[in-house]
Amino acid sequence: MRRVTKLAAAACATAALALTTTACGESSTESAAKGDKGVGLAFDVGGKDDHSFNQAANRGMLKATKELDLGNKTLTASNDETEATREQRLTQLAEAGYNPVVGVGFAYGKSINKVAKDFSDTTFAVVDAESNADNVSGLLFSEQEASYLAGVAAAKKTKTKKVGFIGGVNNALIQKFEAGFVQGVEETDSKIKLTSQYLYPTNIKGFNDPKAAKDKAKGMLDQDIDVIYSAAGQSGTGAIEEISKKKDTWAIGVDSDQYMQPGLEKYRDSILTSAVKNVDIAVYELIKSVDEGKPLHGTQNFTLKEDGVSLATSGGFIDDVQDDVAAAKKKIVSGDIKVRTSP
Amino acid sequence: MANHDIGITVRRGTVHALVGENGAGKSTLMKILYGMQKPDEGTITLDGEEVSLHTPADAIARGIGMVHQHFMLADNLTVLENTVLGAERLHGIGGRARARIQEISEKYGLGIRADALVEDLGVADRQRVEILKVLYRGARTLILDEPTAVLVPQEVDALFDNLRELKAEGLTVLFISHKLGEVMSVADEITVIRRGTTVETLTPERTSPRQLAELMVGSELPSPETRESTVTDVPVLRVDGLRLAATDGDGVARTVLDGVSFTIHRGEVLGIAGVEGNGQAELVEAVMGIREPESGAVELDGADLAHASTRTRREQGIGYIPEDRQRHALLLEAPLWENRILGHVTEAPNSRGRLLDPRGARRDTERIVEEYDVRTPGIDVPAASLSGGNQQKLIVGREMSHEPKLLIAAHPTRGVDVGAQAQIWDQIRQARREGLAVLLVSADLDELIGLSDTLRVMYRGALVADADPAAITPEELGSAMTGAASGHLVHEDDGPPGSGTAPLPGQRNPQADEERGTDDEGGEAR
Amino acid sequence: MTRPAGRGSGPRRIDPQAVVQALAAPLLAIVAALAITSLVIGATGKDPFHAFQVMLDFGSKSDSQIWIVNKAIPYYLSAVAVAVGFRMNLFNIGVDGQYRIAAFAAAVVGGAVSLPGFLALPLVLLTAMVVGAVWAGIAGVLRTTRGVSEVITTIMLNSIAGSLIGYFLQEGRLAEKEGNLFHTPYLPDATRFFTLPTNPDPIYGTILIALVIGVAYWFVLGRTRFGFDLRAVGRSESAATASGVSVRRMIVTSMVLSGAVAGLVGMPTLLNESFNYGTDFPAGIGFTGIAIALLGRNHPIGMALGALLWGFLERTGTQLEFEGYAQEIVGVMQGVIVLCVVIAYEVVRRYGLRRQQREVGAELAASSGAGGEKAEVSA
Repeated sequence: MRRVTKLAAAACATAALALTTTACGESSTESAAKGDKGVGLAFDVGGKDDHSFNQAANRGMLKATKELDLGNKTLTASNDETEATREQRLTQLAEAGYNPVVGVGFAYGKSINKVAKDFSDTTFAVVDAESNADNVSGLLFSEQEASYLAGVAAAKKTKTKKVGFIGGVNNALIQKFEAGFVQGVEETDSKIKLTSQYLYPTNIKGFNDPKAAKDKAKGMLDQDIDVIYSAAGQSGTGAIEEISKKKDTWAIGVDSDQYMQPGLEKYRDSILTSAVKNVDIAVYELIKSVDEGKPLHGTQNFTLKEDGVSLATSGGFIDDVQDDVAAAKKKIVSGDIKVRTSP
Repeated sequence: MANHDIGITVRRGTVHALVGENGAGKSTLMKILYGMQKPDEGTITLDGEEVSLHTPADAIARGIGMVHQHFMLADNLTVLENTVLGAERLHGIGGRARARIQEISEKYGLGIRADALVEDLGVADRQRVEILKVLYRGARTLILDEPTAVLVPQEVDALFDNLRELKAEGLTVLFISHKLGEVMSVADEITVIRRGTTVETLTPERTSPRQLAELMVGSELPSPETRESTVTDVPVLRVDGLRLAATDGDGVARTVLDGVSFTIHRGEVLGIAGVEGNGQAELVEAVMGIREPESGAVELDGADLAHASTRTRREQGIGYIPEDRQRHALLLEAPLWENRILGHVTEAPNSRGRLLDPRGARRDTERIVEEYDVRTPGIDVPAASLSGGNQQKLIVGREMSHEPKLLIAAHPTRGVDVGAQAQIWDQIRQARREGLAVLLVSADLDELIGLSDTLRVMYRGALVADADPAAITPEELGSAMTGAASGHLVHEDDGPPGSGTAPLPGQRNPQADEERGTDDEGGEAR
Repeated sequence: MTRPAGRGSGPRRIDPQAVVQALAAPLLAIVAALAITSLVIGATGKDPFHAFQVMLDFGSKSDSQIWIVNKAIPYYLSAVAVAVGFRMNLFNIGVDGQYRIAAFAAAVVGGAVSLPGFLALPLVLLTAMVVGAVWAGIAGVLRTTRGVSEVITTIMLNSIAGSLIGYFLQEGRLAEKEGNLFHTPYLPDATRFFTLPTNPDPIYGTILIALVIGVAYWFVLGRTRFGFDLRAVGRSESAATASGVSVRRMIVTSMVLSGAVAGLVGMPTLLNESFNYGTDFPAGIGFTGIAIALLGRNHPIGMALGALLWGFLERTGTQLEFEGYAQEIVGVMQGVIVLCVVIAYEVVRRYGLRRQQREVGAELAASSGAGGEKAEVSA
């Protein structure tokens, strides 16, 4: 049998070698098409139907392409992929002639700045990461500010005086959500007991694992926590679903106004509010600027002040505490409250 | 193809024995009859009706049942549970099934309790459970694959009584065996198979073990060689006060070796008799260093090996033919030449320094294949594709190739055909003449008596009796094995030993008896 | 040796049937995988042949090939790490955790010291190997002393590794913050691996590590006493024990070796690509390694081909998505290929075994003449 394996290996090696040598030479870049095909959007894990962050970006893109009559192309990241794959995805979009090319999510932070160097005529943008190149626009949001408001609402609405936070992945970005929320809760009612938990320490799968979020939410509900804020991308839908099963408990959504989302319609009566990150607005603005020939560049901050982030009111569940929320918002905008970015 | 042109007719209500060398095609035939293998050509006719058996289920439906050589029982279940397993539809799993089991057990005199746990049963009882299982499924034709290999003579007699009961009730028994003496005593007809073909069908009255053996091998047997005793007074292996406790599945510790002491000298074969499970396997493993005994000394050629690793012991000159060759002596999926390395990886010609020497090993494998007559198309075939006898010849060749001082041979000819058996005996005798010391453990009492210079009986972890192989019969040895006798066994009427079976491993020289005196350790009764 | 005995002896000649058999399994697997994948793509309402065309075209571009090679380096190392375990019947599922914690430790050490490259690189590599080895060794020790299955422990250790990294990879502990990422400090320039100046992109110099490991794997397992012992344990633990191998020690040793190789899995990324261990450090390569080890039949060259194939599929998979095919197609292909290979080899192996048994039977029956072909059995 041993000889058989050897022969097999030798045969395969020869075949592979033959394939490799004949195919060399041309690079895929050289054969790439050029031209303006519209907007290229690279999603983070979860994709455009994540009811959250990616979906918001998609919404902004669709609005812009419709208004401006542009083409578009979307690609989606998969779990456990590497930097090389992300670079390839962005390169493909740029090569095919899409402009601008937008990377949705901080995962693209490095790759977009790297790929942008090879395509100086294309405008790149990345949501949630900084710009390090001239033709890259970094779209940053003050998530902590919207989260602070969510914290105020949670503190006012809780009956059990226990609120919870579920983060998808324990990274710097999600820590901003946690920090704002914690501060908002504490400064509204210091007696409230707050529980913060993350789904995964490092694996970005945390944004794409509704089951894990569901289990975490269940654990929190079992401890009498009645308001849960989940900042976990697509995973958050799992938490919302679980929370909807228990009466008198509230979920706080994230990124998009999740009350308004068709996919979550069944659970909407449990969605107290959402800490909205207007990714759609940012993406729309960017596409428009490129179309007008004055592309945004450098790092752009979207804060509470210019409604880059906000707290949704759909459903009217927080109408009774709207005064407190509005007061807090005023203080943040004026600078009286400085919201922390890490817990 | 293993079989061609097999023609055999078994009459209802008879015990029909099937004998032949390993690899002769007995197992293949059995597999075909039991629906485990499809014949390329030919027909099977049952009660005048031509049948085709595609699966064992077909065979069972036709009333054919098989009792395998290796029992297929779940230890942690009761007899009842084992019996109904897979046959739940017949009589359910409760009272009706129990009643049916009792009925069968009484009808055929099997004497089995339905609620006994299988792990509490002895080998013979387990075998009866297997037979019961087959009968429970409605078998009218029973195939028994080497049923006596694991039994002591008394148990064999009991089994044969059972078989006669079955026969009396009109059942048909097809019985495979190597042991020609047994075949002669129980079978109504005997069919000999050689090289995939039926050679002849005989009745016991018209044949002798010797004739059968010759038919099996296809040539005249070499007559048993008379030999001089080669026992010297140079001790090779000294085992003193070996004690070992083992914890069984339920966490209960029990003593498996209880102060075992003996000495084997250069040129001496020490045979250990005993019913399986009385500590022989553990003794062998303790001497090999596979099990660590609580106390006791093991000395090889004066060197203390009590705490040496198995590898060191092998390097020091212990050759080992384990009881279960497929599990302990071979890498079944590896080619023959790699199997030649197994156990001797640190020695020439298999390695140089820390590196393997495949070239050397291959060359030496060729030599072993040649010298030991291992029948194989080449040394690159996996060991699994050889028949049992050829596997064993390879193992014997390998162990002998490193000029051991001591050979531990556990059941060296079990499941091996007559031709290979004679050859393996020859090799052991040859090496013994050259000064090899042999520790022989066997369930084949003829082998023990024929090969050994000294005999010990092991019972419940202790050496309870000793006997002079020149003056003892298998029956006498058998009764000591069941614990009925101890101390020095003396034969009642000095008859010739080991008569009735063929071929004999060899005859004894009376001088051996005197030589035995040099052994000072063993033999005391406990 | 006295006679030029049967087949496979003396000067080795090539048995035509062995060649057929050797090629049969890969061919069978490829044909089956293509057929099944075509069906799957067809079921999604797309043209499968266009998909294969796209993959071949895109995969054969020079930049694609370099991308594939670079991608295959960690895959290969991971496959070898898994294969070391497989060869002795240990299922090291924990390569994933081992390489991550090893790469993390190596990144911390490498980022903290500033030594000349010829000292710093070996230090980083050694750290990675030692940490990987220790992490895997825990599973080995637990298996031998407590009898806990390595499958369970290595899965647990994966999780523990992830949590440990998560704990230390925070600002103020062992990491610094850059934008929304935490990562360990950058390795100094001297502590980075060279690249091979190929066009249009460089090939990572860490490919040399993969080559060395591949050769070492082949040599140690196939040509040394130790390797023989290891394979013996893998084939039959009982026979290995009786042959004098200390199975317990072998379990720990092989887990340690497997872990040491696993420790290197993160090195191509760390030393050629990211130069730090951040929250974006790739995870999951350990599991890819399992698939590739299966695909490559634990053979050093087979696994290399498997790793390249995997890289090819990933490279061309994004292109497929670009062409409007479902993103999951590539995942399906990868799974189908592994399954087909495993099944095809098993089928061919069984066929080969039967063939050999027939040969042995023929050898035995050789002297008894041709005989009739009729087999009549009546009972």
